[in-house]
Amino acid sequence: MGALVRMRLAAFTRGGRALPGLLGTLVVVGIIYGGGRSEAAEAYGFSAVALFPVIAWQAKLLLDTEPDVQRRLAVAVVGPRREVTAGLLAAAVVGLATVAFAMVLPWLFGSVTGPAGIAPGLWAHVAGLVAAVGLGALASRPVTRSTLYGIAVLVTGSVLAIVLGLNGSVAPWLAPPLMATARRLADQPGSASIATLTLQAVLWTAVVVAIYVRLRRTRS
Amino acid sequence: MQRFRFPGGRGRVTRVRLDGVSYRYGRRGAWVLRDVSLDLPAGGTAVVLGRNGVGKSTLLQLAAGVLRPSAGAVRERPGPVGWVPERFPADQPFTVDGYLAAMARVQRVADPAAVGVWIDRLGLTPYRATRLGELSKGTAQKVGLAQALIPGPRLLVLDEPWEGLDAAARDLVPAIVGEVTAAGGIVLVSDHRGETGRLPGATTWTVAGGTVTPGEATPGETAIIEIAVPAAEAEDAAAALRAAGHDVVAVRAKASV
Repeated sequence: MGALVRMRLAAFTRGGRALPGLLGTLVVVGIIYGGGRSEAAEAYGFSAVALFPVIAWQAKLLLDTEPDVQRRLAVAVVGPRREVTAGLLAAAVVGLATVAFAMVLPWLFGSVTGPAGIAPGLWAHVAGLVAAVGLGALASRPVTRSTLYGIAVLVTGSVLAIVLGLNGSVAPWLAPPLMATARRLADQPGSASIATLTLQAVLWTAVVVAIYVRLRRTRS
Repeated sequence: MQRFRFPGGRGRVTRVRLDGVSYRYGRRGAWVLRDVSLDLPAGGTAVVLGRNGVGKSTLLQLAAGVLRPSAGAVRERPGPVGWVPERFPADQPFTVDGYLAAMARVQRVADPAAVGVWIDRLGLTPYRATRLGELSKGTAQKVGLAQALIPGPRLLVLDEPWEGLDAAARDLVPAIVGEVTAAGGIVLVSDHRGETGRLPGATTWTVAGGTVTPGEATPGETAIIEIAVPAAEAEDAAAALRAAGHDVVAVRAKASV
């Protein structure tokens, strides 16, 4: 399976499809840290929220890179389960690279202070990353089949993830805990505990990935 | 030239067995195949006949494990499986060498020489460093054949090999099929042009109306349709009709009507 992950990452980076995600990440980092020095934990909380659509989009781009027949060739070789897993893993690797880039860059320019914020910041980014990979997979061509539906799923998912996470939302449990995590990192009163947020992120991702796996059973 | 030895009868599964397999695209799609049960033993070759769009490719992909049956199951399937799609997906940022090496790693091919052997035998040596997208259709199709043969398949599934491959490679196919079956492997070939004669001793199956019946379709009664097309397009029209599996009886000038 590692070989299939590597093959997909190679196709993704060589085809120039990695560029939009890189540019998106630069824009996000530029906006968040452009205004001056900020405290790491709080800045990272916002960065995790803003990177969610970027990483989801990247995951979709990665899964869309492979021609349909090549994906079927992979199924014939490694079986449907490993084929799906290899796609999600490759998307997660790209997401991790994006997170590393977005977290390290502000330190290089001296835009953040307070090393104590690094660990909670990493936690926030990883929680957002796994959820974003799930959304990107749901929006990918093998599931949505058309560009229009794919973009609709991606945009609707990203907007809902933020809107449903706002303070006073009617159904905060429907969204991945991006906004709640940002509030927690900004030490706002009444924030949920890290354990609760982690559980919510894990559950949300599990449900979305289960839907993806279920849909991929009949859509190849 | 270095010879490639197809692995012998390792493993317990030696046959392909479809048990009441049905397939449709999506939940509300029309059934492409209904309740198909087939059994192909070790060392067997089967040629799947039928018109275009009748479900031959679907049957092959179900047998290869590319598609999952909507109902029923493929009970036995030997591995490794080599599947040669009707059209090789050349829109990928790899060279011929890079692609085949990557596929060999995905296939966990133990013999490092296998890639070179098939590149050599299929005449791909001059194209080793060529990007897939720059290959002619026939050459790209050979890359599709190579990736399926490199793991030494015990089940080789060829979708319309007479269609995409150039003449030299077409002549190679019967020999390769013979080598796979001699080693106890199984070969499944689809063919809508009726070139089955190239594979003597093969079982034939005919796909029609969602079912698969053994043997070639009995011709039954035929009807002749006369079609008028502009003279300049006659050749293309005849080719299109042949491609759709029809028997073009004659092409003539309209003056005689």
